[in-house]
Parts: sequence; C-alpha cells; structure tokens
Amino acid sequence: MTRLFLASLATTALTACPALAVEKSEVIGTYADIAAAKYADSLTTAQALDAAIKALIATPSEQTMADARTAWIAARIPYMQTEVYRFGNPIVDDWEGKVNAWPLDEGLIDYVDAAYGGATDENAYAALNVIANPSFTLSGQTVDASEITPDLLENSLQEADAVEANVATGYHAIEFLLWGQDLNGTDAGAGTRSWTDYAAGDDCTNANCDRRGDYLNAASDLLLSDLEWMVAQWAPEGDARTALTSDENAGLTAILTGMGSLSYGELAGQRMKLGVLLNDPEEEHDCFSDNTQWSHYYDALGIQQAYLGEYTRLDGTKIHGASLSDLVGEVNAPADAELRDDLDATMVEMTQIVDATKDGMAYDMMLARGNDTGEELVMSAVDALVVQTRAIERVVTALDLGGITLEGSDSLDDPNAVFQ
Amino acid sequence: MKHFPALIAALALTASPALADLAHAVDDYILPGYAAFADTTAALSDAAADSCEPDTLKSDWNAAFDAWMGVSHLRFGPVEDEGRSVIIAFWPDAKGMTPKGLSRLIADEDPIVKDPKAFKDVSVAARGLFALEFLLYDDQFDATAPYTCDLVRAVTADLADIAGKVSDAWKDGYAETLRTAGAPGNTTYLTREEGLQVLYTNLVAGLEFTANERLGRPLGTFDSPRPNRAEARRSERSLRNVTLSINALQNLTDTLVDAPLPATDAAFAAAASTAAELNDPTFDMVSDVSDRLKVEILQQKVKAAEVAVLSEVGPALGVSKGFNAGDGD
Repeated sequence: MTRLFLASLATTALTACPALAVEKSEVIGTYADIAAAKYADSLTTAQALDAAIKALIATPSEQTMADARTAWIAARIPYMQTEVYRFGNPIVDDWEGKVNAWPLDEGLIDYVDAAYGGATDENAYAALNVIANPSFTLSGQTVDASEITPDLLENSLQEADAVEANVATGYHAIEFLLWGQDLNGTDAGAGTRSWTDYAAGDDCTNANCDRRGDYLNAASDLLLSDLEWMVAQWAPEGDARTALTSDENAGLTAILTGMGSLSYGELAGQRMKLGVLLNDPEEEHDCFSDNTQWSHYYDALGIQQAYLGEYTRLDGTKIHGASLSDLVGEVNAPADAELRDDLDATMVEMTQIVDATKDGMAYDMMLARGNDTGEELVMSAVDALVVQTRAIERVVTALDLGGITLEGSDSLDDPNAVFQ
Repeated sequence: MKHFPALIAALALTASPALADLAHAVDDYILPGYAAFADTTAALSDAAADSCEPDTLKSDWNAAFDAWMGVSHLRFGPVEDEGRSVIIAFWPDAKGMTPKGLSRLIADEDPIVKDPKAFKDVSVAARGLFALEFLLYDDQFDATAPYTCDLVRAVTADLADIAGKVSDAWKDGYAETLRTAGAPGNTTYLTREEGLQVLYTNLVAGLEFTANERLGRPLGTFDSPRPNRAEARRSERSLRNVTLSINALQNLTDTLVDAPLPATDAAFAAAASTAAELNDPTFDMVSDVSDRLKVEILQQKVKAAEVAVLSEVGPALGVSKGFNAGDGD
C-alpha cells in the first residue's frame, strides 16, 4: 500500500514536472559562485591579517597590535557569511573545524588567569600551555614542541587527545593570541592582552614572547593554506562544486540543509540560547574580541544570501543570480514569501543586537543574570531563527526533492528504492 | 503546472490518515507523559519541603527522572518556551558548569534561593535534574547543610513549577494545536503532515541523541575511553536512561503509526535486549579493551533502530525529517 502510493506519486512528479523558468542547475550555479566569491574574500582578508600579524611580530607596538586586531575583525566579515555552506556540504563541514572550531580551552595554547583552573574531567590538557612548554606528554607520547610550526599545531595539538575543546588552529586561536582572555565576566570589555606579550628582551611580558610570536605566525600561515584549499574546492572543476551538480535535487537539499542546520541547531541553539540560559560570557562565539554580535549578524546574513542568490563582495561587486527563492516562487509563492519575510525579520533582530552593542550594551552584558533587556534582545533573535527554520522546512516540502531525510541518509541501505 | 503541488497535497491528505494517528500519539503518549513528569516533580518538591536528607529524596528524584525519560526527546512546543528543556536536563556539561554554578551559589550563600521568582534568573547549569543529582549524590555537597538545603528546595520547586507549566500548556491548548494540524485556522501546523513531521523529527533526533551522546560520549575512542562522561553516572542511571529512552521512543512510534513496522519493531527489540544484557549501570566497561565492544554493539543497535525508523516510519507517515537541535556541532 505504502509502496504503491509513493511509487505513483513519484511517477506523477516525473510526468508533471515541466521545465521551470528557473533551472535547478542555475540555482546551484549561483550558490557555488557565491561560495567561491565568499571564500576568496575570506582569503583576501586573511592575507591582510597575516601581513598585520607579521608586522606585529617584527615590530611589536601598541599600533601594530591594534592593526592586527582590526585586520582580524575585518577577516571575520566574509568568513562568517560562508558558514551557511557548512552543514550541507561535507567538504566544508569536514574542514571547518580547522579554521573555526569553538569553544576552546585556551589554556592549551598560552597562559591563563588563575580562575581558569587546570585540567578538567573532560580535558586533561586544558591548561597545557604549549607556548611555555617546549616538551610535554600528550596521550602517552612525548611531543617535541621546541619549534612551533604549522605541522605541530595541525597534527599534534589540534583536537589533542580526541578532545574537541583542544583548539590549536583557526580564527579563535588567533583571536586569543591577539586579545587574550576576556576577564570582564558579564561586564563590558574584551580581552586586554598587551603588545608587550610579543616584545623582545626585557620588554617581554608573560614570558616566552618569541614562542608566542612563533605560534601566532604558524596559526596565521595555516589559516591561509586552509582557506586557499577551500577556494580551490569551489573553482569551476572543484570538488565542492561538482558534488552539488552531480545530482540537482541533492544539491538543492544541501543548500537547504545548510540554511536550516545553521539557523536552528547551531546559531539559535548552541551559540545564542545557551549563552543566555547559562549566563556565561564564555558562551560568546567571539568571546576574546567581543565581536560576537557581528559574527551572529553575518551568519544570519549568509543564510539570507543563500536563499536569495546574492552577495556583495568586498570590492563592492554584486553577485546576483537564479536563486532558490525564484525556484520556490514558481511552485509555491506563499512558501517563498513566508521565508523571505522570516529572513528579513531575523535580520531586523540581528541589527537590533548590533545597535544595542553600539549603544553600550556589550554582548557579554546581554547574558548577565537578571538583564531582562539583553535576554529579550537575544531571545527575540533566537525566536526569529526558529520561525525561519519552520519556513525552510516548508520550502523543502514545497520543492518535493524526493529524499526521505535531509541528511545522513548514507547509512540507509537504499532509501530511494521506494521512489523508483 | 500550477496544479502540481495541489495534486500532491490532495494525494497526501487522503493517504496518510490511514497510516498515522496524531490524536493517539497526543492523547495516549504525550499528555500522560508530561502529566507523569509534573506529578513526580511535584512529589519530589513536596518531599524536599519536608526533608533534605539525600536518602529520603533519592527515590523521588529517580521517579522524576524516569518520568522525564518518557518525554525527554520531545523538543518542541511548550517545553521549548523559556529554555525549559535545557533547564530540566542540562547535559552534556562539557565544561563542568553544574558543579561550578552550585558551588558559587553555596559559597556566596546567594539569597536568590529564597525568592522563587528571582530563582528563574539563575544559570540553567545550577537548575534541574542534573543540579539535583550533584546535590544529592556528589560528596562535595551536603544537601542537609542549611543553605544547601534551601538550594535543594529552590531547585525542586523550580523543576516542579516548570513541569507543571509544560503539562498544563499541553492540556490547555497545545494538544489541540497538534491534534488539529492542518485544520483551518491552525497557524502552527499548516498541514497535517507538519504535525506528523515534528513528531517524526523528534523520534529520529531522540535515537541520535541516545546513540551519539548517551553512548557515544562515554565510549570516546578506543584509545581514549571516557567513562567519566557517562550521563547521570553519579546516580548510576547511565544505562537505565538508555533503556528508558529506547522504550519511550518505541512507545512514541507505536502510538503514532497505524501500520505494520516489522523492521522497526525488530530493531527496537534488539536494542532493548542488548541493553538488558549489560550489567554495568555506568558504562565503566568502556575502559576495558574487550568489554567495551558490548557498549559499541548497543550503540550500533540504537543506530540500526534509527535506520529502520528512517526507512519504514518516514514513508509510512509520508514525511521527511525536519531540523532538530542536534543539527549543529
């Protein structure tokens, strides 16, 4: 009975589906072109960050430190807009941990405040402090860290001891080395690491300035090579692009999976709601730099861009092509209108959070116990993300992409058998 | 061309009622589940008002946790308002925030425990079932000490209040909202399929949570097993929670689907019997080179149940899985 019904439905679908004005292949093409542009912009800004970091290490000063921080903030803008590519594209998701893993036990990398504590039940290396220790034991192996190299970070330290909080590479490791811990709790203020943490000779504060510089340099080199690799994946014959185009319905499902998973489980749940519920400023995504409001904002903007098929590049060039919105508008205009409205509403909420920080309420403060205004700001954005997730599910249904599951169907014997 | 989606919708509407029973799931699974959780947490709070002696409270706390396991995987509707599901069961706690949060309240003798309304502002890490587990089972806390006893009372009262609100919200409206999915005027569930989809999504997510978190966290890797990460290990409920979650998810499936599900039934039965054969309430055996295989097999059985559900229940209901809270990292 079930099989017959589904089989007849599938047949109906095949015969009833004439050429749409918008081709699925064009929608996927726009999505991939925007990915290529966003990762290229991420690389450009990471190159500027790398130059600023090398200047800081070569000539440490208040100014070179400030320049490096400014470059990091700028580098986050295009990168956060790429996060919508993560959950739908295995090539991105498998790689992402190297560049944006979070949260981290920063004591793995460098000195921390006494209140941070030491090793924990969860992580024996939470306070390893690689910068201060040229040799140490990790999971029973002696590690020679006399030279701090990209290889050491990537192959020995990253996720050491199979603990995800051992983040040795990526934006947040660099962020920690530029700002240091934010010790202000739920009060305003970011980390206050001094440029003298990179100073030579007697000016060096907190010891091991050379090794700290080596670490920062190695992390920056890795970020560049990782981003270069990802740019290549989205080139005309790149693997990320061809993975999407080989099966158009799977490609569209990937776009929607990325939008929905980032909206709901990741951004609304892990990054925003949990911080409010825990009153914990360490739950801020960019906690060292106090840049969290912008990272949330650009995450949400990326989701909207993925649906509308548009992106404005760093140099002002506008990319705009056939979009999911166009496609959905043809088969179910109300579902398209609902999602567009919901995406707009989310951006209004995100803008309010950003505006509040400009008016003096830092994102940390919004998480404070008893700050009803802050809680309202964050939770309104969470609610808007939840609402837009429902609309994304409706779009999935409207497009009738033929799959049983949105993700993880690889483990099924042959889920599509019933549709054939 | 414009008629195409309407045609599918029409076909779907005529086909699914024969296979799915939304009202049965609401009336015979969800409502009694939340009522039991409200009743047991109220009993726990009453008992704490009389005594903070852990040996007196443990049975009431366990009864409340058992009731929670019946509905813990339902992550939509009233239990998601105001972060309630996270407050009720804050786990996993990778940063050890529950003991830290409790210790801070106790060290400060924070008067917030005397004000039930203000207590709603306390971090979720120091509230709910897992905060109580620390207070009742962990040696670093003495539940009978005067301030700690006030804290136990505040947490139990808060938990009972939340459980009561969730149960009432379902009885007083949300049950009808879900039952009447797709009816004119229902703005939450625009179609009957949306109502079925939310239960189906939570069913699959529940199986994933048990496989990946309840079993996956203590398993860790072969070289680094993590018995200290087992859920509720202090109260030795780790295996019990796995067993209860398998039972609850099977009950949800049974009430929701009115069609033979031979593969799903067999997979649930296999997972339940594998769990019944483990004689280790806290999964300490994951550290033993040969015994850990038994826990790995249980995890595989739960994953096999998920595969069976995906291939059998989804088609029977005519819906695909939506997004869930576990979709992120």
